[in-house]
Amino acid sequence: MNRLVVSDIHAGYGAVRVLHGVSVEANQGETVVLLGTNGNGKSTLIKCIMGLIQPSSGQIFLEVDGRRIDLVGRSTEDIVNLGVTLVPEGRRLFPKLTVEENLLLGAYRPEARREIDRNLSACFETFPILQQRKRQLAGSMSGGEQQMLAVARALMSEPKILLVDEPSVGLAPILVSRVIATIKELKERHNLTVLMAEQNFNQATKIADRGYIIVHGKIEFEGRTTRELVENELVKKFYLGV
Amino acid sequence: MFSLDLLLNAIVAGILIGGFYAAVSLGISVSFGLLDIVNIAHPAFVILGSYTAYAMNRFFGFDPLLTGLLFTPVFYALGVVVYRLYYLGFERKGEESLRGLVFFFGVLFIVEVALLLAYGVDYRMIEARYVGQSFHIGVVGIAFRLLLPCLVGLMVTVALHLFLSKTFYGRAIKAVSQDSQALRLMGVDPVKIKRIAFALSIATASLAGALLILIGPVEPSIGREYIGRVFAIVVLGGMGSISGTLAASVILGVVESLTATFSGPSWAPAVSFGILLVVLAVRPAGLFGR
Repeated sequence: MNRLVVSDIHAGYGAVRVLHGVSVEANQGETVVLLGTNGNGKSTLIKCIMGLIQPSSGQIFLEVDGRRIDLVGRSTEDIVNLGVTLVPEGRRLFPKLTVEENLLLGAYRPEARREIDRNLSACFETFPILQQRKRQLAGSMSGGEQQMLAVARALMSEPKILLVDEPSVGLAPILVSRVIATIKELKERHNLTVLMAEQNFNQATKIADRGYIIVHGKIEFEGRTTRELVENELVKKFYLGV
Repeated sequence: MFSLDLLLNAIVAGILIGGFYAAVSLGISVSFGLLDIVNIAHPAFVILGSYTAYAMNRFFGFDPLLTGLLFTPVFYALGVVVYRLYYLGFERKGEESLRGLVFFFGVLFIVEVALLLAYGVDYRMIEARYVGQSFHIGVVGIAFRLLLPCLVGLMVTVALHLFLSKTFYGRAIKAVSQDSQALRLMGVDPVKIKRIAFALSIATASLAGALLILIGPVEPSIGREYIGRVFAIVVLGGMGSISGTLAASVILGVVESLTATFSGPSWAPAVSFGILLVVLAVRPAGLFGR
């Protein structure tokens, strides 16, 4: 059993406070979405979980088989080694390395190295295009292919918890649906726990089990089901303009 | 008068010297091309390697190649220390570009002056049974003092190439200057990776230095003669490409050898840099650059 809990996090950049007491959690096997438009703190929260920013107060911890592991204060490398992997916003591939080299770098952590062959063939099975292009430089692929590679690279790390930050940014609508559908498929196949930050409401709610709406650094609404999210007044206000 | 014998000999000598150039250039290709560390002091570390080989040969009768190999861990440790200083002083503060250059200039002078104080300005050379020997294949004479450096240079090149392309550390080294934060998201500590890679680049200087003093006598500031040539090789091959560095080394070696044989040694640098300019005009990333 794996569970990610974020509790009452305050964080920001220097004097600019971005998060004001945010609490979210993702339980084993769930896909939880964090919805919000630009500048409301989604990425900041993700960065806090990954140890890229230190929160000023609050707790972030994993529960792995009943054991509690605090993440605040750990380095990003440590957090990744615990089995939390991020598909970063903007993909952050290594453009001058080949597709295969990018995938193998994803499997750097010791637990992932043991499963490298199995995970590599699983990735190629899910994304046949990556197998065809494994010798090609990552930077020379199209945006959609790069997003596929970013997701595949994260899976190579054999994650327990998968964080996905804005997978839809910079992609054509048809590719957005495809990427979102792939995340759902992978989540089911690998029994992952997924926390996804996204501003594309319609796409995100397609695969979410439940979710949160974040506005100005606070969780303004928690939808216990997708239905609650879809019917919420805030959503109408922020997304549909009614 | 054109002579086929002369041509063949010049080509073979060029290829042999090219293998040696590769050994000297690899370290710079790694630090400049893969780490974005402007280690212009690298030739000074090579000279340090030469004097280590000289001292061990003079006082203990060690073979220079054996010394070169035995001292790679010492040079690795030296690299760890230099990188640590560089990291704490500059890189961590984001001041690496210009001040880092000054730092390595300083290191260059310190090493040079230290050698000057210790050994003086005279040329030094080593004694080994095979230094003066050679053999012939047809009309082509092959001197051991050129053949051995070439073979060792090739071995170092192949070893480094395999390390970079087949190991987890190697792949991380190739990625570290592209996006170090993304590397952290793979669970890799970029500072550790750069430390390992930089220390490896300095470790190659131990062997390269031993090769240098096998080829000819050495004095403390001889490294300066190599700076321009070595940079030309690294840029020509494509920064950070190990196979490119080897190819460029051989090209430059052969071109220099041909020029020196047929129009006089003073033309050799002009022709090498001429080739560099043409290649950069046609292919700015270098021959094997990505």
